[in-house]
Amino acid sequence: MSRELIVEGTDIALAYRRTRHRVSSLKQTAIDTINRRMSYENFYALNGVSFEVARGETLSVIGRNGAGKSTLLKVLARVLPPTSGRVIVRGSVAPMIELGAGFNPELTGAENILLYGTLLGRDRKTMQSRIEAIAGWAELTEHLDIPIRAYSSGMVARLAFATATDVTPDLLLIDEVLSVGDEDFQARSKARTAEMMNSGCAVVLVTHDLNTVQSMATRAIYLDHGTMKASGYPQDVIDAYHADLR
Amino acid sequence: MQVYDSSVKQLPIINPLKGVWEKRSLLKLLVARDLTVRYKRSVIGIWWSLLNPLFTTAVMFYVFNTVFKAKLPDGQAFLPYLLSGVLTITLFNQGLTMAADSIASGAGVLTKVYVRPEIFAFSATISSAINFLFGLIPLTVVLLIFGKHPGWKTPLLLVFMLCMLLFSTGLGLMLAIAYVNFDDSRSLINIFLLALQYMTPIFYPISAIGPHTQKVINLNPLTSYVTVFRDVFGDNSHATGTQWIVMISTSIVFFFLGFYVFGRTWPKVVAKL
Repeated sequence: MSRELIVEGTDIALAYRRTRHRVSSLKQTAIDTINRRMSYENFYALNGVSFEVARGETLSVIGRNGAGKSTLLKVLARVLPPTSGRVIVRGSVAPMIELGAGFNPELTGAENILLYGTLLGRDRKTMQSRIEAIAGWAELTEHLDIPIRAYSSGMVARLAFATATDVTPDLLLIDEVLSVGDEDFQARSKARTAEMMNSGCAVVLVTHDLNTVQSMATRAIYLDHGTMKASGYPQDVIDAYHADLR
Repeated sequence: MQVYDSSVKQLPIINPLKGVWEKRSLLKLLVARDLTVRYKRSVIGIWWSLLNPLFTTAVMFYVFNTVFKAKLPDGQAFLPYLLSGVLTITLFNQGLTMAADSIASGAGVLTKVYVRPEIFAFSATISSAINFLFGLIPLTVVLLIFGKHPGWKTPLLLVFMLCMLLFSTGLGLMLAIAYVNFDDSRSLINIFLLALQYMTPIFYPISAIGPHTQKVINLNPLTSYVTVFRDVFGDNSHATGTQWIVMISTSIVFFFLGFYVFGRTWPKVVAKL
């Protein structure tokens, strides 16, 4: 059977100009400019990264903090266009990141499901018909009509997780496997994530947990300062990563 | 099936606008969200949101009618003049800062999910425009009290509102970049907006000012906006042809400029976040 490629990344690079000492205030920028202390450097967040992910495969991205893992997810989510190289993504993309960041505390549970789902790129009418099912899974059916500012943080997390995982996309982007809520819900959310990953979509998984990589990934890449230090079978890539850490 | 190919060239302005259009159902939801939060959930609803411009007007009316004795040209009434000025500047300020704010505060989502941030700017300026429409109710009442009425030019109000929508959306997009890039930009921008507000004839007639300062005031595009609004709704000022041209051209120029600058700069901002 031939592989159905969902993601093709060829020689992806992402560069931007940044100031040497990070400034985030107008005041500092003005002072530095006057003192001619503004110096820029061309920073490569990603450089020469190539990989493919086919349907049913899970690609794990490992590396230290600041290695470019999250940047790579942004590129795949098409939020960030690569400076050079090429990315092709076939089909729908769902990120399982920043759960509930689009929620508004003044809106009811039902209104938030609709808004959050549409924000994640789903069809509004489809979302409308899924509200009941999503609330049911999150065990929040009787709280659906009250503003979520009255929810506990666990309830909000459950609602967000249930909404985010309601559909199986062609490409699933995961930044650390999330476990939310109480013990029971944690087990259910983990099971659901695993179920989604095994349902035949392509998965790109960013994680620090090498056990997860070993158990879930079919391939892996190891990023270091934006460049790809290793790629291949998870165990080989983990070995390369370990060798560098030592 | 949708295919994303990063090597397909993105056209500035056109592609972002197409992106907004494709997600117009999200835009509707965002506007509905803003309005629900503002009206449905608060106890006195609509009246609460009108309280701010009405109260501002009341204070200014006392100060400028009693203390400074503003003198308008014959045939113009001060209270409707003032209220329409306050409503215009509220429409502008609110749309602009909310547009920038919604992008800055939505950055968490916008850097991870593919949604055109411009949609957030539009939703802010559209809800600000709807808010403005509610403000026309007390303005009409005030006009009637002063023996005036909105007048036959009222349909042209749509042109004014469209121009303001484009103008504040474009500016809001550029402001959003500043908000996200520099933590301290807000306070600076607030000072700038205050200066702009004083440079707009809200509570004083242009004729009350010396000829030199008049030139400066007329350079401010908001002067044209407010004058056009007073002309088309209530016939309480006369807008010249030049002022119409200034209003329409600045709205188009700043709208496209905002889209262009934002489209160029946003990826760089996202990369750093």
